[in-house]
Parts: sequence; structure tokens; C-alpha cells
Amino acid sequence: MADILQAKPAPPAATLDYHRLVDVENGWIDRRIFWDEGIYQLELERIFARCWVFVGHESQFAAPGDFVTTYIGQDAVIAAKDRQGAINVFLNSCSHRGNRVCFAEAGNTRRFTCNFHGWAFGLDGGLLGVHEEEQYSACATFDKSKLGLHRARVGIYKGLVFATFDAEAPSLDEYLGDYRYYLDVLLDNDASGTEFIEGNVKSRLGCNWKFAAENFVGDAYHAGWTHASAAAAIFKKDVKVNIERSYQANVNGHGTEFGLDLIGNAMGLAEPEVVEYLKENEARFAERLGKLRSRMVGAMSSSNVFPNLAYLTGFNTWRTWTPKGPHEIELHTWVLVNKDMPERLKEAYRRGVSRTFSPTGMFESDDGENWEHCTRSNAGVVTRRQKLHYGLGMDSRMEHEEFPGAVHRVQLNDANQRAFYRRWADLMSAASWADVSDRSGATR
Amino acid sequence: MSVNAVEQAVAAPRRASLQLVHDVQQLLYREARLLDEQRYDDWFELMEDDFRLWIPVPQSRYRRDGQGIYEPRRMAHFDDSLSELKLRASRWKETTAWSEDPPTRHVHYVTNIEVEPAEAAAEWLVHSVVISLRNRNEDEENWLGGRREDVIRETAAGLKLAGRKVFVTQSVLMAKNFNTFL
Repeated sequence: MADILQAKPAPPAATLDYHRLVDVENGWIDRRIFWDEGIYQLELERIFARCWVFVGHESQFAAPGDFVTTYIGQDAVIAAKDRQGAINVFLNSCSHRGNRVCFAEAGNTRRFTCNFHGWAFGLDGGLLGVHEEEQYSACATFDKSKLGLHRARVGIYKGLVFATFDAEAPSLDEYLGDYRYYLDVLLDNDASGTEFIEGNVKSRLGCNWKFAAENFVGDAYHAGWTHASAAAAIFKKDVKVNIERSYQANVNGHGTEFGLDLIGNAMGLAEPEVVEYLKENEARFAERLGKLRSRMVGAMSSSNVFPNLAYLTGFNTWRTWTPKGPHEIELHTWVLVNKDMPERLKEAYRRGVSRTFSPTGMFESDDGENWEHCTRSNAGVVTRRQKLHYGLGMDSRMEHEEFPGAVHRVQLNDANQRAFYRRWADLMSAASWADVSDRSGATR
Repeated sequence: MSVNAVEQAVAAPRRASLQLVHDVQQLLYREARLLDEQRYDDWFELMEDDFRLWIPVPQSRYRRDGQGIYEPRRMAHFDDSLSELKLRASRWKETTAWSEDPPTRHVHYVTNIEVEPAEAAAEWLVHSVVISLRNRNEDEENWLGGRREDVIRETAAGLKLAGRKVFVTQSVLMAKNFNTFL
């Protein structure tokens, strides 16, 4: 007991030097950022309650009353389309006693009524009425206009719906910035626009959310080794990266690593129709995206939009890494298709993603194993003192005549991961958005 | 799909004999053991060529909702033909399947078997419950249970599996992966 009383308290997470924990200049990362509860709680405040976080795709809100429930960090939210056609995002927690007001993951409704005392909220989160309302007639603080569910700001970029709880956050367009050039590879290669295939796959992994995010933001390096067995089964050969014509690019912590091979990822679906579609439509993609970007549509690539939205060209899977604590995430996996694709092709993507990048998938089942044990090993105090090496490609920065952001030579590179952690450290160190540095084109 | 809809009474005159029920049980038990022992090539021998495995991802929806818990067009854990299942299993034979070495320890438990006549004369609709217990590495443990609806066909080579649907209960799969079949 005496030891506990005399033990020096750990410094509050807000006073830690995040640019030392994440030493991107030299390529070393302190493992405490993957383990510490205090750091995690500050992430919920300074990353998830502050950034634009993905909540859904517009195609999930076809009719007024359509809703989904999801999370921004650990804050449960409802996203619902109202009668005017606007998508609203608000807390899924009653303003009376805090109970969850919606338990379905999706559906269509006119209101969300709390099971506890019958408080009913509209599609914009406003309080419509309560059970035994006349009892409140003499209650001066009962003002229905002030008792609605707390609302987030909503922004939409080419079908993707994001929300933020931070009134000071820049606009969504500014937040995505030049990264929109890369997003358009999948979001705008066809005039019909995009949609999500119905439903998703949900799973729990015992890992820190950043291991998943960094894997997609820039870890082409693991693909040839981790996924050797899936590659052998599907391609009958190894995964080889093109050293001459592959890149990493990042903008404010968003990042993509990519080749210009048109079909590299798409081949992994083992659905020949998808590869044919990409080849047949390359010229059409080029009309919208330009010749260079048309080569990215199904290419060997992975990407992460800061903080926790990731996607793969070719497979067309989009996913979120939602934190459930410092050592646990929930992974949601969707499939994005162009609206005017033939049904057969949409089916090929739907079934192909299940076979590759889902918990039963040939590629993904290896990833979870890695991320869990990268996290769990840090239970050891001595283990936790050993810094991790993020030094690959330190001098790979290049200028490119077309690609925006900080561009680096060769997919096999830690550059995007360093950029992700630099952005993370910027946000963790900043008391408000005004103090967050611009990193739209500045990583080594 | 009987899990979503109120079950319709089937007016078929056939009834499964004790011998058939016994043979179906033995088939399902043997199949479970082949999965436990990761003998996938032998497991595939129990299937007809037109076999399909469908394991949809359940959605938590209100009772008043027009859509069911399980719907065919949604994302699924499995929606595979026999050749696609074989492709999945072929990965596990590679020496580079790192996450399968040391191997996962499996038990597939099959129970609540009911044998009913199916529409086709030589086919039986078999309900059962399957529970998968997996242990990996030191202390990793995962459970997954579901209701099966199998179509079992009488062929010259004995009883064969002609189709399978599994309605699992977990909406969020409480595991990092699912590295077996149900």
C-alpha cells in the first residue's frame, strides 16, 4: 500500500511530448502509444471528437427516415435522413437519463423513442415529445427545443458522409484537401457515381486502432510476406512491387501507397469479370481522371483517410477501424461499386471481398493475427521500452508533376506511416484546431 | 428462409426412417471431425458438385422493419460455390500460411438434428445446430454458433451434402477472423 501511495503518478497524457513519442525525423516510435490508457483517452478527445469521421455512404440513406447507427470514437451516434433530404448525425443517448435510443443497426423510422421513459426524438435529433408530458407543464427547465440529442456537423464528399463534433474543425473539403485527388480514383471514375452494396461484415480485433490504420496508410511492405499464402493460392506466384513505377503520397495524415498497374489488386478478387471490366473501361476512366490516375483504379494499393477510414482499390472494400479501448477495435467492411455497373459485376465484388478481405477472407485472416500480437506484446514493461523502427525510405521524397501532397518513390516505404504519426502527434499536442500544423505537403 | 419467416407446413408424405436419421447424423458427425482435423480435401468429398455454402452476416433490425435479420443480397461471411471453397482452403496448405502455424485447435459440435422431406424426391432438409470452438496460441478462444439448414441428397455413392445455409447468431463476429467452415 505504501508503495502505491509513494509511487510517482504518471504524467497526465495531455502533458506528454507527442513529437518525442513519435520521432518521425529519425523514424522511431514509442510503443506506449499503442498501449497506454491515458493516451487512448486523449485520442478519443483530440482525434475522434475532433476530426471528420466517416459515418456512412449516401446510398444507405435512399429514403427519408433511413438511418444507420455507428460510432465516432466511442460516442454512439445515429445518422438519419430527414424529410427535407438532409442527413443528420447526433448522439445515440437520451438527454433524460442517457439510455441508448436506437438499438437497430439500420432501418427506416419516423422517430427514435427511448425505451426508458418514452422520450421521442425526430430524424434531426430534436425532442418531439415525452411520455406524460403534462407533468412537465410547471417545470421551468423543460424546454423541448434545448433537450434534443447533441448534433454533429455533417459533410459529404462524393457520396461519403462524414461528421465531426468539433465546431472549430475546418470544412470537410479543407480537411480532405488535396487528398481528394486520390479519393476520386474510386469515387469519381464513372459518371453514375457510387453506392455501397447492402450490409457489411463486422468483427472485433484485439489490437490498437493505429496498427490497422498504419497498415492501410502505407504498408505495402507486409503484403508480399504476410499474404504469401493467399497470393500463392490465388495468383500462383509471389506479390512483387514495381520499384520503378510505384509511390506513396500523403496529405495531412491521409495517405495512399500505389502502383500504376490498373489491375494488381483486382486480380486478387479471383473474379475475371472485374479484371475485364477494368481493362475495357480504362479509356473511359481516363476521360474523367486523366491517363495516370486511370491506371490506379484497380491497382496494387492501400489507403487510409485520417483517422480511421480505409480502402483498397481493385477490391473496392471500404472499412472503418472503430476503437473499443486501447487494445480493441471493431472492423466494419463494406463494398463500394459504381451505380451503373451490371448486377453480375456487383455480385462479383460482393462475393470476392468476402473471400479476400473479410474475417473469413484469404488475405485478412492473416492481418488480424499480426495486429493483435503487435499490440499484446506491449503488456510487458521492458518490451514497452523498446522503440519500434519506422525508418524505411527516409530519403525517398520526390517531386511529381501531377501527384499532389508529399510524394515518395517506391511503395515499399515507411513514409506514409511517419506522416500518419506526425499528424497524430500534431493533433494530440494541440489544444484546439488553431494549433494544428498544416501537413499538406511536408514529410520526409 | 425459415429463420426470417413464419414456417410453412410441408405437406409432403415422406417421413425419414430411423435408418436415414442415423445415417444423416453419422454424416454430420464425420463431417465435423474432418473439419476439426482440417482434412478439407476429404471434407469436400462429402459435397455434390452444385453445393453452395451461404453464411450471411446478421443485422440487428427492429421487428417492424420490412427487412429480415438475414437477407441474400447483403454482405456475407460465405456465399461460395464448391470450387470457391476449395480455393479458400488451398491457402491453408501453403507453408507460408503463417497464421495457421502453429495450427488452430478446432472442435465443431453438431446437435439438434431434425430430418424433414425436401421438395426433390431424393433430398432431405436437415436442420441442426453447429458450434465452433477455436483455440489458438496460448490463450485465444473463440466461440461461434449457428443454425444450419442443409440439403442432403441420396446418391449412388451414399448421402451427400447438396447445399448449406448457416444462420450465425453473432452480428459482430467476436473474433479477429474465422479460419474454418461451419
